[in-house]
Order: sequence, then C-alpha cells, then structure tokens
Amino acid sequence: MAFEITRPGKNSLVVETPVMPAAGIFGFGDVYRDLIKVEKLGAIVTNPVTYQPWQVATGTRVIPLDAGVLVHTGLPNPGLSKVLNQYRGLWDRYPMPVILHLVSTTVEHVRRGAERIDEETSVDAIELGLNDDVDWSEAEHLTKAAVQATEKPVLVRLPLHDALAVAEAVMDAGAGALVVAAPPRGTARDPHTGKLVSGRVYGPLVKPAVLRVVGQLARKVDIPVIGAGGIHTQQDARDYIEAGARAVQVDSATWIQPKIIEFIARDLGGWVLTREVGALADEWHPGIGETERKARDAGQPAEPGDVSTKPTA
Amino acid sequence: MKETQAIIERISRVNTGFQRLHLAVDESLSQIKPGQSLLARPVEAWNPYLREHWWPVTVSAANMIVERPIESRYEPGQVVSLLGVIGQPYRYRRTLRNVLLLSFDTPPTALLMSIGWLLGNRVSVTLVLLGSARQYDTAHLPPELEIIHGEDDFSWPDRVMTVGWADQVFVTVAPDDELGRFAKVWTLFKELRADIPSNYLFGVFQPELPCGVGACQACLVGLRGNTVRTICQDGPAIDLTQVPLL
Repeated sequence: MAFEITRPGKNSLVVETPVMPAAGIFGFGDVYRDLIKVEKLGAIVTNPVTYQPWQVATGTRVIPLDAGVLVHTGLPNPGLSKVLNQYRGLWDRYPMPVILHLVSTTVEHVRRGAERIDEETSVDAIELGLNDDVDWSEAEHLTKAAVQATEKPVLVRLPLHDALAVAEAVMDAGAGALVVAAPPRGTARDPHTGKLVSGRVYGPLVKPAVLRVVGQLARKVDIPVIGAGGIHTQQDARDYIEAGARAVQVDSATWIQPKIIEFIARDLGGWVLTREVGALADEWHPGIGETERKARDAGQPAEPGDVSTKPTA
Repeated sequence: MKETQAIIERISRVNTGFQRLHLAVDESLSQIKPGQSLLARPVEAWNPYLREHWWPVTVSAANMIVERPIESRYEPGQVVSLLGVIGQPYRYRRTLRNVLLLSFDTPPTALLMSIGWLLGNRVSVTLVLLGSARQYDTAHLPPELEIIHGEDDFSWPDRVMTVGWADQVFVTVAPDDELGRFAKVWTLFKELRADIPSNYLFGVFQPELPCGVGACQACLVGLRGNTVRTICQDGPAIDLTQVPLL
C-alpha cells in the first residue's frame, strides 16, 4: 500500500504503512534495530535536533505516573551538523523515508537548518517542532522560514493546547502536513525529592485529548493530519485514522513494549491478518480496518484516507 | 539487546525488606555480568507504566535470581517480559585484590552480584552501609564478605584504612539527587586520599529508565570535555573523575 502523508506535489512524502515513531521516542533510528524490524515502519522520525548543540537538563528527568510517565530531558543533542555526519550512512541504508525533527528555536536557525537539510539526500522531510508557547504569527514565520529554505516537505508538529489556533497559520505558510500533537506538558511531584517537576506527559490517557483535536483539525484543514499521542494498541491507531488522520506516530508505548510499534505498522500496512472472529471470507481481506468494516456494515463507502480502502494481495 | 520472557519459579524472602525471585530465563541471559541489569514488565496492564529495573544477584545457565523490595507483589508461575541486557559490566582492574563497595541511603542491590563474582575470583570485598542503607539486613550475604555499618555523617570504623586499602570503589546512592550525593562521596575521598586516579572511584547510577536502549535520553550524564553518556548503554558505573561534580 502507499500512503501520501504530506500535501500533494512533486516532493510529497509517500510511505508504505501510515505508522512511524514520534520524535524523541526512537533515537536516530539506530537503537531499536535489535528489538524490532525497523524496515516495517512507514518512516523514521528522529529525536529532536537543534541547529546548535543543546545540553542535558539538570535535576529529575523521569517521574512515574499512574499509567504514564513524565519526562523532562531538555532535548539534549549535539547539533544538526554532528547528527547528520553521524547518522547519514545509516539513514541512507534504510528503505523508508527519514524525517528529521528540527526544533524551532529562532527563525534564523530554522532557515539555516532547513537549508542544511535540503542538501542532505539521506533526509526526506523535516518535522518542525513548535514551542508550546508559540503564537500563530510566530508559528507562521517559523514555518515559512523552513518551507522557503527547502524543497523537502515540511511537517509541523503543533502544541496540543493551541493546535487549532496555530494550524491555519502553519497551513497557509506552506506546511506539508500537521503532526498533532506534541506530548502535553504537565507537572508532577517527584516521589524521591518531594519537588514539583515539569515535563512532557506520556501514556494512554493522552490519547482522548489528542484524538479530539485531530478530529477537529481534520475537518478544518485541507492538508494531511498525522495523529500522535497515547497510541498503545492497533485499535488506538485506527481510532486516529477514523478521526481523519492520514497517519499516526507511536510514542512511549515503544519504550515499554518495543514490538507494539511494529505490530501497529504491520497491521495498518495490511501485512497481518485482521480477520474478525466469525467474519466470512467475502467480508474480509488482509488489512481490513475497523473503519471499512463499519462502513460496509452501514452500506457506505469508507472515508478517503482510510487505510483499509484498498485490498491487498 | 533482546526482549525475552521469564517465568517466576519460586519466591523467597531474604530479609525484612527484600524478596528474591527465582526465574527461569532465556539462555542468552546467562552471559549477564555484574553491573548489568534488566527492565522487567511483570503485568500486561499499563499501570505501573514503566518497566521495573531488576538487578540479578546470581545467574546460571537458564536460571537467574533477582532481588526486589518486599512491597512488590509477584506470584510463582507468573510470566514476565524482560528487556535486556541493560548497561555495561563493572570494569574491574586486572590486578584487583581489594574492592570497597559503598551504599549510601539506598539498598546495595545493584552491587550484590559483584560480591559473589569477586569473592569467587579471590578478591576480598568490603561492603559499607551508610545512612538508611544500614537498615538492609545482611544475614543472607556470604560470610567471606566484610560488612561495615557506618553512620549518617559518612563516618565508619577504620575509614582511612579501608579507603587506602581499596584498589577500586563502587558507590550506590539514593536516587533523589545522585549527582549531589556523588559529590559528597567525591569530597570525602579527596579528604582521605592524596589523589583519586581514574578507574578507581565509580558511581553506580540508578535513574528511572523509560526505554533502556538510549532512545529517550532521559538518563544522560554530562561528562568533562562536553561529552555525554547514557546510563542505560554506557553505565551504570561511571568513573567519577570524568563527572563534573563540584
């Protein structure tokens, strides 16, 4: 199957399965090779990279929550040039696209970063990560800076709490797709120190909040929306597709059960049997999803973008 | 790195605070060495979310014993998902004769596997328990092990002698402020020794490990020379001469 996950054009991004890791989850494509078949993923989204190096955060970085975790790393990375030099060879060998997550610091750094990435054949697209406190005007400038500096597709990851306000500005600035959303920020008490610590929240409970925004945005914008947040099962991923997402990004579930992302990728890519118990042969084909099944039951065609609209051999 | 399954065959209580799980494990885990660990997921539910950090105590062909707090609930026959091996073995010197293990405000679980290994290689081992680590009941530990119960203020009997006599030192501290506590240890050793050479004083870091493979970067430690190390891949023992503590 082929899924076009950015707006149509000569450089649109096409993947074989609409499932990829979220930024910050999968390293740079190098660390999960012993645990899963990385080639079965639709794309690799790298850990966040800044134009210049960023240092490690100090203090507590991980707080276990009920059915979740709060993580604060400070996005440490050696800077764009070093990352490209270190991982270029690996990314060249992967058959699927590599999407580099570029942290939006300043307009100038985003422009320079996008220009640098534009020269790289090992990188297929940029995912621009917006700050949580960005306003629509700043988001527009940052996106324009990236889009004008490269011919590669620029996906923009939106902050959850302001996604609806920022989305249209980003779309008008030329974004190829919207990634909804960055993990929400939260604060929790460190059980060891008793201090309150802020960071990003991961876990199954994030999904309902993000899913709602994905549904709202998918109806509002005319570029692809990629759902990201709280996906822990194949059904979670299908819920996003049903809500209107063109693809999904799996986050912290990969840390806890690494094989889950491969299962979801195979499932939504039509590579595993998803026949329901009791389904007759003519009611089913490999890769059939909930959306198509329900549409069939209701006597309606499935929505465009539904992963299960094309039967596979 | 591999994800395997293990079965809890037996559970034994070793002291008032800890139990030991006797596991049937994949044979690939028989190569695990002192310093290395596993990330375990005992239940299918998403709560608790993070994998538990399991430190082996002894390992044989297809069996392993790990030590866990008594509050954690397990059952014989329970199937557990194990992710590992996590980290690098402790780097012992070739000409090792005396090792000092120091546990400060935390149980010495991360150091226990090294005790049997070192004693079996005719290395004498001293375990110093400081602060709340003194509450760890040591009756089940090997009789050849010298155990010293210190005080809250970093003092223990024959302190100068034990530090001077040790060829290598491995220290575990409470996870609330590892760098701050390692800084205290560093200061103490600077007072007791004229020089702290490299490959002598190691901090055994035990942060929460969300992924265990170096992807999440939540366990990075900044070192001198603007370099970083991940505890899950390069640790848990880091030479404290490389860490900018003060």
